[in-house]
Amino acid sequence: MRIYNKYIVSLALASSLINILLAFFGQNDLEIYFIINILTYLIITLLYIYFNPRARRALNTIGVVLFAGFMVIIAFEVMEILSGI
Amino acid sequence: MSNSYRILGLGLCLAGTIFAPISYFIISSVPLTAVGISAIMIGFTCIALANTRPYISPEACQLILKTGMENTAALLEELGLRSKAVYLPSTMRDGHPQALIPLVEDEDIQWVREKIPGRLIVRYGVNPDDMAIVVTTPGSINIDMLETKPGPTSGEIEAAATYILEGVLDIANSVTVSLADVQVDVEVSGAKLHYEDIWYYRCLGSPIASIVAAISSEALQKPVRIKEESYSKGKSRIVLEVLS
Repeated sequence: MRIYNKYIVSLALASSLINILLAFFGQNDLEIYFIINILTYLIITLLYIYFNPRARRALNTIGVVLFAGFMVIIAFEVMEILSGI
Repeated sequence: MSNSYRILGLGLCLAGTIFAPISYFIISSVPLTAVGISAIMIGFTCIALANTRPYISPEACQLILKTGMENTAALLEELGLRSKAVYLPSTMRDGHPQALIPLVEDEDIQWVREKIPGRLIVRYGVNPDDMAIVVTTPGSINIDMLETKPGPTSGEIEAAATYILEGVLDIANSVTVSLADVQVDVEVSGAKLHYEDIWYYRCLGSPIASIVAAISSEALQKPVRIKEESYSKGKSRIVLEVLS
């Protein structure tokens, strides 16, 4: 299953790189880490369009859950900004 | 194989679930918490991928493929057929793409106007001698796995071949297709089932060539013949001839 291995390795490398870079630049907001990790996950998953249909369905389900988490964080941020005004 | 992904996934999820709260509440480190969350995300992905592995083991699939190939090879050898197979699109058969092996080699085939009947021994040309046997190949079956039928461009043929060879079957690393007037050049890198000099492959091509030929034939809506197949430096080069 070389395509699965390639996908998992690219996810692991991308998330490591992002976490290291954000830590290096002194980022201390967990929401930023979470959002950027989710975006990376969604982009990398989108790039692997040649997965078989069952794998794509499973990954889409995870993607939907992560996207929902992303939207919740965004909603909280927007509410925070609006309540500040 | 599915177990290794599941074990990796469960390990990552467990490690992330323990590591993230410790990092956040005890160590008070946001970057380390993010590492824990990333581990959980990748862990769930591994578990999801483990559940999408085929129900049949690769050994069982190999057994079925070999049985089919040996039966067809025995038929070809018994009939003494040496001519190269012509891959027909589904529109020339009864809705199923198949490979036609002429009993007598003919470079310039004059096809019959009507559909070729769904039988083993068929008449395919206007001449009385134009008799052939029609067999199902790995490529014929794989066409059904495509979600949409590819169009007659090199890009669409390449995308369909990549989807089948890399994504569904995982028997190649990448596929490049270039389309000339009556010739399709295909380069497959990291092919697992490459060409061998045996009777079956000389006649019908390797399984990879068979799949590429069936996809090209279906995309171009024309019969296709495997003209040349070679393997060097980890790359398979397949040349297909598009027949009119």
